[in-house]
Amino acid sequence: MVIFQMLIFFPIVIGIILFLLPEALIKIKGIIALLVSGYGAWLAFNTFNSTSGLYHVQCTLAPQLSKYLQLNVDGLAKLIVLFIGLFGFLYALYSLAYIRKGKSVCGYFSWFLITLGSALGAALADHFLFFVFCWGLLGLTLYKLIKGDDDESASAAKKTLILIGGSDSVLILGIAFLYKMTGSWIMSGSSFTTSSALANAAFLCLLVAALTKAGAIPFHTWVPDYVKHAPASSSAFLPASLDKLLGIYLLARITMNFFRLTGWATLLLLIIGSLTIICAVMMALLQHNYKKLLGYHAVSQVGYMVTGLALGTPLGIAAGLFHMVNNALYKGGLFLTAGSIEKQTGIDDIDELGGLSRVMPLTFFAALVFAISISGIPPFNGFYSKWMIYRGIIDFGSGSGLANKLWIVWLALAVIGSALTLASFIKLISGIFLGRLRENLSKIREVGFAMWFPQLVLAAICIFFGLFAAKAVIPVLFNFGAMADNSNLAGLWESPQVSLLILVTILLGVIIYLMGNPKKHRISDSFIGGEKVQNELNFLPSDYYKTIAELKLFSFFYKWAEKKRFDIYHIGKSIVLACYSVGSKCHSGILSTYLVWVVAGMAIIILILV
Amino acid sequence: MNAMIPLFVIVPLAAAFFMAILGRFIKNFSKILLNLELLFLSYLALHFILNTQGILAYRVGGFENAGDIPIAIYLVLDGLSRLILLVISLIGLLAAFYSTSYTRQFTQERKYYILFSLMIAGMNGLVISGDIFNIFVFLEIAAIASYALVAFGIEKQQLEASFKYQVLGGMASLIILLGIGFLYWQTGTLNIADFSRLPVSGPFVKLLAIFFLVGFGLKAAIFPFHSWLPDAHSSAPSPISAMLSGVLIKAIGIYAIFRIFFSMFALSYEIAMVITVLGTLSMIVGGLMAIGQWDIKRMLAFSSISQMGYVIVGIGIGMILLATGGSKVIAGFSIFGGLFHLVNHSVFKGLLFLNAGAVEYATGTRDMRQLGGLAEKMPLTASTSLTASLAISGVPPFNGFFSKLIIIVAAVSAHFYWLAFIAVVVSIITISYFMKMQKYVFFNTPQTDYKNFRAIPLPMNLSMIILALLCLLLSLLVLPQIRDIFITPAVDALINSLQYTAVVIG
Repeated sequence: MVIFQMLIFFPIVIGIILFLLPEALIKIKGIIALLVSGYGAWLAFNTFNSTSGLYHVQCTLAPQLSKYLQLNVDGLAKLIVLFIGLFGFLYALYSLAYIRKGKSVCGYFSWFLITLGSALGAALADHFLFFVFCWGLLGLTLYKLIKGDDDESASAAKKTLILIGGSDSVLILGIAFLYKMTGSWIMSGSSFTTSSALANAAFLCLLVAALTKAGAIPFHTWVPDYVKHAPASSSAFLPASLDKLLGIYLLARITMNFFRLTGWATLLLLIIGSLTIICAVMMALLQHNYKKLLGYHAVSQVGYMVTGLALGTPLGIAAGLFHMVNNALYKGGLFLTAGSIEKQTGIDDIDELGGLSRVMPLTFFAALVFAISISGIPPFNGFYSKWMIYRGIIDFGSGSGLANKLWIVWLALAVIGSALTLASFIKLISGIFLGRLRENLSKIREVGFAMWFPQLVLAAICIFFGLFAAKAVIPVLFNFGAMADNSNLAGLWESPQVSLLILVTILLGVIIYLMGNPKKHRISDSFIGGEKVQNELNFLPSDYYKTIAELKLFSFFYKWAEKKRFDIYHIGKSIVLACYSVGSKCHSGILSTYLVWVVAGMAIIILILV
Repeated sequence: MNAMIPLFVIVPLAAAFFMAILGRFIKNFSKILLNLELLFLSYLALHFILNTQGILAYRVGGFENAGDIPIAIYLVLDGLSRLILLVISLIGLLAAFYSTSYTRQFTQERKYYILFSLMIAGMNGLVISGDIFNIFVFLEIAAIASYALVAFGIEKQQLEASFKYQVLGGMASLIILLGIGFLYWQTGTLNIADFSRLPVSGPFVKLLAIFFLVGFGLKAAIFPFHSWLPDAHSSAPSPISAMLSGVLIKAIGIYAIFRIFFSMFALSYEIAMVITVLGTLSMIVGGLMAIGQWDIKRMLAFSSISQMGYVIVGIGIGMILLATGGSKVIAGFSIFGGLFHLVNHSVFKGLLFLNAGAVEYATGTRDMRQLGGLAEKMPLTASTSLTASLAISGVPPFNGFFSKLIIIVAAVSAHFYWLAFIAVVVSIITISYFMKMQKYVFFNTPQTDYKNFRAIPLPMNLSMIILALLCLLLSLLVLPQIRDIFITPAVDALINSLQYTAVVIG
């Protein structure tokens, strides 16, 4: 099959070749990257339409490699590949305008293409070694797609690679456990119940890798830091889209293929999912750097997917995967709009922005669609998948396990999380796009075609997926595995009809407005008890939810979070440094002490052996 | 063919004497001669690997065995020694080439090259010796040359480090010599192959094993005998640090231990267990100590202890399996992981020390807190250093990823679950301190404006580039065809250790 070789290795090879071109030709590199990713998207679409099955990539250069390059093209992999291809193309187009010479990451387009190829490889791989190879490469490209030229971004890059690289080591351990049990490296092999100690250990190891990649609690802490400092196109590409797709892909493989979950595993996943939803969104409420705010939402949304997959029912799995797709669409889109705003204004603080809807209408429209989608407002796609998750949880409640009995808790947390998401996006939209346009921002212009086009395409897909989820989207995308012959996935929500009603209402409103002869109105200042309207009277958007932070119960947690006591990276760091300080006291540099060590060591060995 | 085996010792020894005599009169003579010598040795080692198989034995002086008793000095070349010889010559060649510009700062350049050549002679001699006394002699040649090289800068710090190294190294030699004396007193033979067929057992053998384990363990810097290494390896001139960490501790430490415990003594579960436990402890202690260091080279030195732990654990698991009659396939896999990591480590740790040398050469400091932002000023050093850091941390597509993966999978396959878990944790610690180094040295905002910045000369850059490419290319060693040429013979040599006696004596 020629198509798969091209799909995976063509972008990687071109990416490596692009290293040879000098940085000055970045436009040409960008155009090549766009062409390659466009070709990749086309191949990905073809893959999606091809028949499922196992394929062997024949490697003519080194025939012995073919064994490792077995690909498993099933429904799940095809779904992931389709969206990786789509995002690759859109983000390459966006990067073409966004990435500028000299100011950005060195070798951006090379790493971009290598990322694309290895993500496709990871999604299709059926041999564990090839999978972990591609998976690990993604950690490396993530590290290379951020520019560590100041202290904070260097720290973010370091933290990211330590967490991601560390989780890759754990993944290797998990794979070693699986290999021990099956004696085979093939992923599409037998599955295990999580009951034996070895199976449990393997399950936990693989889970750590999946959750770290997707960015779920407690391994999420690299996401907010990374997106705050990385170029927006990098953030949209990896943490918001590809890492989510792949992390959830691995989680889906774990829950659907590798293991049959028993009670405790389901409970664990549900706890992780719910905590992720709530904790991350609580943190997001208080951010005033809009990229970091989006980063916390990128974490929070993972909670829904984990919850959906944890349910294990066809509805739950479909809901989790649909939410994964939707999230990649709107979260990637949100990062693109964030990048547009940052590029045009150079400001990344919500408090210093405002009123941009007048000067950047296209970006505003796209951001509004994404914000409504992510907040779960009908009839957009985010609502649909969340609604499926709620239904899934309610159905799940009829079971008999402990996790099933607690269904009301999971449901409540998911709904509250959704409400808080809406709250924080009100802040984002109103802070950036609404309100008065500041004078220093009045010269801002809309971004160019290459940047608004991807945003609008993503927005259009969000609307389409929301309107036609039941009719056209879910039957096409989720027709594999346990979901294949389940006609109940779509549920009772009739999105087109409801949307039509909403549209009619809006139209009526517009007609009434126009009938009222809008040209004949007078303009006057807002009346606020006789005071003059001043800029100082504006609320800063970052103060919207300050009261929450000041509540006794929460203020304690927020303080701890500020001190990074919940950050697994910092916990690990302090443990290791404590060990180090003990060790460094022993390494005193005094020769006689060292001689004592040698003698003592020898004495102990003699005592043990003789 | 066999007649060419002594060249591994003769060439570097002769070169050292020529350098001492002619180098005085001809400018740059020593530099060129050392590079030529190592080029020849690399060729020779490669030639032996590609064109010969099995165990080759050469009797110095051609003395025939008197009946059953070997009289001659044996030089033996098996799969393992071929591999180590190639590593010594190749890393040596690149370090020597790098030195040609690096040593301009020293007043006595010639002596540096003489000592370098002697160190090579010592290591090569140790690797091909077939009897324990010659191992000792060559060990001392290599060690004494390295004492002098550590002190080569003659600053206070270097002299102190060298002194500690000498005292502890001297202690190691003493313990080894004691063991040798003991051995001769009890059995009347020093030949490895001859000893291995003697029916000896009991506390005597155990005591002997302990002497050799501690003595060579000191040279290999296994916990708790590692204390000299951080000082010595960080104080030496950088190419020498690369040689010490990249090659010397492997040749005179690890190689000697495994040669002795595989070929000389009958495999015993207790010894194998002790070796594995010590390797695990080295892995942990080295990693934990490395993470707090601010001196680049000191950090790298601690990291060497930790990485040597991986090598020892890999081979140790194989030893345990062989001693207890476990699966030979898994044992072979595990030993392969260990030897693969040994080769990889010599490449990336050599490269990291050369990088550290380049940073020190360019900026005059190796304190991470005073550096930063060097990725823009020295892109080549930065990218090669990132390559090596990622390779040692086990990130694909570099070689370290595969060797760590194999060691972890082998440990799990052999039921050593906790060991595999520790290896993973230490691997996370490893990536942490290398990311710390990358952040403070190459990223971040610069802490100074680098007034005395010096550009890196071509030979130094070239050596680093070649090593970085090797980090990538050595990944190919996992492929069966390439593995069978380079590493499988070494693994077979360890697994079928009984053949050693049969071929050498028989």
